[in-house]
Amino acid sequence: MKSRISLRGKLSSEVPTSSMADIAFLLITFFMVTTVFTAIHGIDYGLPKKDASANIKPQESVYIHLMASGEITLDFVPVSSMEQLAAYIKGKMEQTQGRKPVILRTDPEVPYGMTVEVLDVLKQLDIQNISIPTQTDIELWKDYFRD
Amino acid sequence: MIIRYRTRPITAIIPTASMADIAFLLITFFMFTTSFSVDRTDVLLPASVVQQQVEKDAAIIAITADEGIRISDGIRESELVTDMAKLESILKEIVQTHPGRQFIIKCDKRAPYRSFNTVYEMMLRNGIRNISLLTEKKG
Repeated sequence: MKSRISLRGKLSSEVPTSSMADIAFLLITFFMVTTVFTAIHGIDYGLPKKDASANIKPQESVYIHLMASGEITLDFVPVSSMEQLAAYIKGKMEQTQGRKPVILRTDPEVPYGMTVEVLDVLKQLDIQNISIPTQTDIELWKDYFRD
Repeated sequence: MIIRYRTRPITAIIPTASMADIAFLLITFFMFTTSFSVDRTDVLLPASVVQQQVEKDAAIIAITADEGIRISDGIRESELVTDMAKLESILKEIVQTHPGRQFIIKCDKRAPYRSFNTVYEMMLRNGIRNISLLTEKKG
């Protein structure tokens, strides 16, 4: 008996891609949920190298003192607003061609936000020479920092 | 006479062939833009007008309003430190392994200045000069 093998049934060469979109969308969902688009910004406070720093007396600089009482003094004189502070420093800088250093002293109890607010004013005035003394510095140089 | 129209059934198909392409394009976009935050400490940041973008992979020191301190080298997840000696040893380790790395101080605006000062003094002691104070945009 002769047998005939039929070759009519074609085999299709197909890559099953129906689930690919599902996988892709699952991955998208994951990345969308975990992505944080916030570029982190801040105020740069670059310090000079240890050997390049020098001791500056408050008398030779613009001296800002943020007191625990919430009061701000500028060269030992109280100021009532940030605008007044900015105007005074701007005037001083114009007189000295921006060479005068600014010392920003903050009392330990003062909220940190207040220091940043003043620092922001100084940065807006493009003051390069800003010094933030540490509490140890203040203790060491008590005579200089006497108000 | 009855006229019979032969109607061909129209199959309702949504063309989905390009869907995978679009999806993979979106994946590529998200993969390149995703950055996993190493510190998720909840703080109320002070606002400022002047802002500079901080360096990628900078080390972060977070200070909360209740003076809790967390530190991250910028790669590993931030960890809570209660002991100042431990904080200093971590700082030293970061300085040694990643010299010149920028340090971000992420301090709550309600935190007393003394807690910032403690960290600031420690950074100066360890020769850290590249510091950025994290703020949010004013206005």
